[in-house]
Amino acid sequence: MNLPFIKKLSTKALIILISSELAAVVTGPPGNGDTPWVGFHDSITQKASFFGLFVTGRWALFYAIGIISYLAVHFFKKLNSNNSAMDSLRSQYSSVAKNKYFKLAAVLVIGVLAILLPTVITDPFWREAMVSQIAVFVLLALGLNVVVGFAGLLDLGFVAFYAVGAYATAWCTGALPMPPIFGSHVNPFFAIPIAIILAMVAGVILGIPTLRLRGDYLAIVTLGFGEIITLFANNLTGITGGAQGTEQVPHFSLHIGPLKYIWGLDPVPYYYLVIGFVILFIFIFYSLEHSRVGRAWTAIREDEVAAESLGINPLKYKVMAFAIGAASAGFAGVMTAAQSNFLTPATFTLALSINILVLVIFGGMGSIFGVVFGAIVIQTITMYLIHTPPAGYQPPDLYIYIGALLVIMMIFRPGGLFPARRRQRADVATSSLENSND
Amino acid sequence: MTNLFEVSNITLRFGGVVSLSNVSLYQKRGEILAVIGPNGAGKTSLFNSLTGVYQPQEGSITFNPKEGEPISIIGKKPHVISHTGVARTFQASRMFNALTTFENVKIGAESHKGIGAIGAILRGPATRKDEKYSDARTWDLLDFVGLRAKANYIASSLSYGERRRLEIARGLATNPEVLLLDEPAAGTNPSEKLELTDLIRKVRDQMGVSILLIEHDMKLVMSLAERLYVLNFGSVIAEGTPDEIRANQNVVDAYLGTTTAEGAN
Repeated sequence: MNLPFIKKLSTKALIILISSELAAVVTGPPGNGDTPWVGFHDSITQKASFFGLFVTGRWALFYAIGIISYLAVHFFKKLNSNNSAMDSLRSQYSSVAKNKYFKLAAVLVIGVLAILLPTVITDPFWREAMVSQIAVFVLLALGLNVVVGFAGLLDLGFVAFYAVGAYATAWCTGALPMPPIFGSHVNPFFAIPIAIILAMVAGVILGIPTLRLRGDYLAIVTLGFGEIITLFANNLTGITGGAQGTEQVPHFSLHIGPLKYIWGLDPVPYYYLVIGFVILFIFIFYSLEHSRVGRAWTAIREDEVAAESLGINPLKYKVMAFAIGAASAGFAGVMTAAQSNFLTPATFTLALSINILVLVIFGGMGSIFGVVFGAIVIQTITMYLIHTPPAGYQPPDLYIYIGALLVIMMIFRPGGLFPARRRQRADVATSSLENSND
Repeated sequence: MTNLFEVSNITLRFGGVVSLSNVSLYQKRGEILAVIGPNGAGKTSLFNSLTGVYQPQEGSITFNPKEGEPISIIGKKPHVISHTGVARTFQASRMFNALTTFENVKIGAESHKGIGAIGAILRGPATRKDEKYSDARTWDLLDFVGLRAKANYIASSLSYGERRRLEIARGLATNPEVLLLDEPAAGTNPSEKLELTDLIRKVRDQMGVSILLIEHDMKLVMSLAERLYVLNFGSVIAEGTPDEIRANQNVVDAYLGTTTAEGAN
């Protein structure tokens, strides 16, 4: 330990002290006129626990998380900068990961694990979470990945397509005040194509006027679109059931000749159904990524003017990315509506859009495997904190944990857990070019 | 035989700033034509008008493809103009940096087909045939510009000279009748410049693609171009063969300078 480091550490410690107190107050109990200082008081006295590992005051807990994160980052950077062993390890890892048979084996192992998972997990909470909070979010993340990862369009209102899918299901099955198209109580299976098509149409309707915008402007417009859909669901009581929503979406069922099966309250059959569709969507998105379409998306993302000069119509491809991304969100909506039977506009919030975006960023924008993995990791952490909350855990604390995770990740792996090959390459090349110019 | 490009009296304004004023020019089929002039003379604006990036307020631009009707360029989107057979490179090379050299060229080779999302998912025989064709064409073009060995390199890891050649290959992949080169020699060293001169001539002679060129390097321009236009303050001040331009007093005053001053090269 040298003196400058300690000096630097003490400045950082002060910054972390202030920001952790801020975090503790912000996530603590709400104050009121009579007790304006309750938030500050409780931030010191209230006990909180870090995943049950140790128990201390809220402020002290956040402070500890901050200091530990800072030290971890500091020493990782130091280790990284003067350790060539790390580099050789990394190159060995990447050469193994590039092996075709290794990839195939990895996919097979993951597939078998996914099939066997319900036999291992017997806790009803986790069985439910596996379907409604993890598998459905994998679908949502896969869809947003097409928009954000492949085409590079920041969409902050992705939840709108999820809502369209869910409400389309309720509509087709006669659960909404609005009369259904095929009489009442249609099997949700028939709702799947309708919901997907309606979500895609919503994508096209949103896309055509807005995709002429770029970057920040597009983000704001999509954010607005997400809010509009929620407001529609809330206020068009005669069509959507208003704020109360509906509770009558039927379960999936199968009647083919002698074969009869009804998906009921047990989440496991739903799990297999969703997993089947997750595999289908992964296959579709993977094929698209490695086709003319995927290359055109990358070209537009990298340099729109150059792409146009080569004869690529950017608007067409961007609208297509919106529609294809919306398809998987629409399907996720069908699953949510049918599995939980009920539907309210309160589900489709901006926070949910951001949540899905976090899954994509955490996993690695543009990397299908990364996004699936990221969705599983983040949603599992979220569910764990809800299922077994550490002492003193407040629901808003979730964002502190996820936020800290994201910040650390951005430092260690800026491209996400499993960065996309195409994005990673650009980063490496640019940085090596910059270094050579120095 | 009609001219390839027929530009008549185009005026391009940005608010009160006149970027091109009353510019008329033509390009013969199979010609290597150069546009020179000092910085800010409107050369790149002219290119952008020809490729649909800018829309001139007045005048007309007609492009006569080998087959089919003459096409009016003004009012068309860049990607539509690309489909008619006009390809270009950019002043600051604009690669798709996340993609390999091979993929960069392949995007040009396949961009003129339909989107084919369904085909891409199902990978039917038609899609595979298309892919095979694009791959073959891409390899041919990489051979042509001499980048076969760098096919799997990331575009941003190439040297400036290689990037210029990659951009030319990418433009040629769209199967154009004319290739617009915006300062292809910028940032290249003398030996790369020689290679580039040969390559551009080869594009015209072997592929039959006409060349329209903006360049500041006088040695390159004078050795390559068959005819030149000189722009200054958005207007054409001279037109002629390299020898005529060298002798033109207006051009010497505006751009080339006298032999006693540096810059005549």
